[in-house]
Amino acid sequence: MFEALGSRVMTGVVSLAMLLFSSFEGNDPKMTNLRYRNSDSFLYVSGVLENAFDNDFSTIFASGTPISVIYEMDVRQGTMALAKNTFRHTVNYNPATGIYDLKKDGRGEIYHSESVQDILSQLSHFEFGIPYQSSWKKVQIRIEARLPKVHFNTANKEVDLMLLWKYKKPSAKINADLRKPE
Amino acid sequence: MINKFGMRTQIIVLFLIVSIGGLVILNYVFQAKQKDIQSALQDMELTNELREIRLYSEEDSLKAEALMRDFNAAKAVMNIALNDSQVVTSVVLLLVIVLSSTVFIVVIFRLSKPLRDLKHATEQIREGNFSVHLPETGLPEMRELKSSFNMMSRELEETQTRLLVAEKELIWKDLSRILAHEIKNPLTPIQLAIQRLEERLETNPDTIKEILPESVSIITQEIENLRLLAQDFSNYAKVNQPNTEVINPALTIREIVKSYCQDYEIKLDLTENLQIKFDKTHFYQVLTNIIQNAIDASESGEPIDIRLFGEKSFVVLCIEDHGSGIDKKDLPRIFEPYFSKKTKGTGLGLALVKKLCEANGAIVRVKSEVNKGTEFTVIFEGV
Repeated sequence: MFEALGSRVMTGVVSLAMLLFSSFEGNDPKMTNLRYRNSDSFLYVSGVLENAFDNDFSTIFASGTPISVIYEMDVRQGTMALAKNTFRHTVNYNPATGIYDLKKDGRGEIYHSESVQDILSQLSHFEFGIPYQSSWKKVQIRIEARLPKVHFNTANKEVDLMLLWKYKKPSAKINADLRKPE
Repeated sequence: MINKFGMRTQIIVLFLIVSIGGLVILNYVFQAKQKDIQSALQDMELTNELREIRLYSEEDSLKAEALMRDFNAAKAVMNIALNDSQVVTSVVLLLVIVLSSTVFIVVIFRLSKPLRDLKHATEQIREGNFSVHLPETGLPEMRELKSSFNMMSRELEETQTRLLVAEKELIWKDLSRILAHEIKNPLTPIQLAIQRLEERLETNPDTIKEILPESVSIITQEIENLRLLAQDFSNYAKVNQPNTEVINPALTIREIVKSYCQDYEIKLDLTENLQIKFDKTHFYQVLTNIIQNAIDASESGEPIDIRLFGEKSFVVLCIEDHGSGIDKKDLPRIFEPYFSKKTKGTGLGLALVKKLCEANGAIVRVKSEVNKGTEFTVIFEGV
């Protein structure tokens, strides 16, 4: 609880400081269009991460270091945690070929493109599937995205990419009734 | 405009403008320069050129790829480092501003507290409370200032005590002198009347009846004078809290003046339907004392004018005689207790008038010219 409170205070201070005194634009990520669908045994959740990669990410991807976006999915029924899963979307750029690879966890898809814009567009959309028990009835699904700390081997430097999101973790919730298929 | 605010506010505003303003300008310049560096970094591009080199040999290609990776990683790290420094600078600046402002305001309040205490103490002294003392704590200069202040208040307190004692003594001396004089005046005729009766009783007791009525009359009259004297003192000492009520001054004046009209020429010019809040008994005492004063100052047949009128939210009562008037140098003292220029009287009448007016929230004024007359004005708050 204190960690969450501390994180909120820090985010608030950083946001206020940047609003007042900084010329750093960064990104203001927002999770939208969160939807779910369920088959007999799988629950799928999809959504869009808006305004998350507009600034600075093309330079970061161009470094050739694999860059991941981490999604944490949390399913609860009332106060009881039913499932907690982590998914990654990872971008890897090969400077020698000029091709970006995007590997999406969840559905196991891989994209290749020379255009950073295509990759950013693909990166913004997510869909994850998890198996669910027949005992799950009305559940709340919460998804939160974050960026990891990345070690740039060639520069021998570790950086916290959350800076690019101004230390804000975009998240969204949706209530799902699994008794009837969507 | 800034003079409207206190010294403390002015110092705080000055601090905010100079110190924080300076930091903000410095931050602005720093951020702008960082942005320039970032922009220059973005323009550095060698990937396309190096990608072509790899075509000529595999070894060169691998070297070129490593070079590209190094260059791009360095570029990414620098870009993030620049962004990070901008964010960190702004956060540090915000914290510095908040902390320094808080510390500065706290210090200013603590520094100015002794001055506020001193101001409050000075106000208490002004209100007559000389027993106020300040704790001699804080900075050395403040301790010295408080010590001086305490010394001053102690001296003032001592002086006030001495003055009160002296004043009491003076009042008692005055009172004793007046009492002695006023009691002696009627005692002399009483003593003379009794002596005449004794003499007649010794020399010719048969004819004592001839002077008896006159002597008894003198004694009775002087005893009555002594009773009136005692009543005057008693009245002055007994001014109670006024029992105010709404009265019609014109009606009350007519009632009071009725008993004087048979012997004296009193002209009335009264505006009807005015109302004031005043203790009715006090009003009677105020009016009779001023009228008696006017009668005493006037020759037989000289008129006394009484006017009553409204003036904005006030009601004004003027009682004017055309008698001997009051000397200019005596005017400031006529409301002092025991001050009198008349051969008869205790000097308490006008003092009582002033005391009653003050107790009822009215104001009494006087103007006079020797041999032309005197005018007393009482100003009441209208209802």
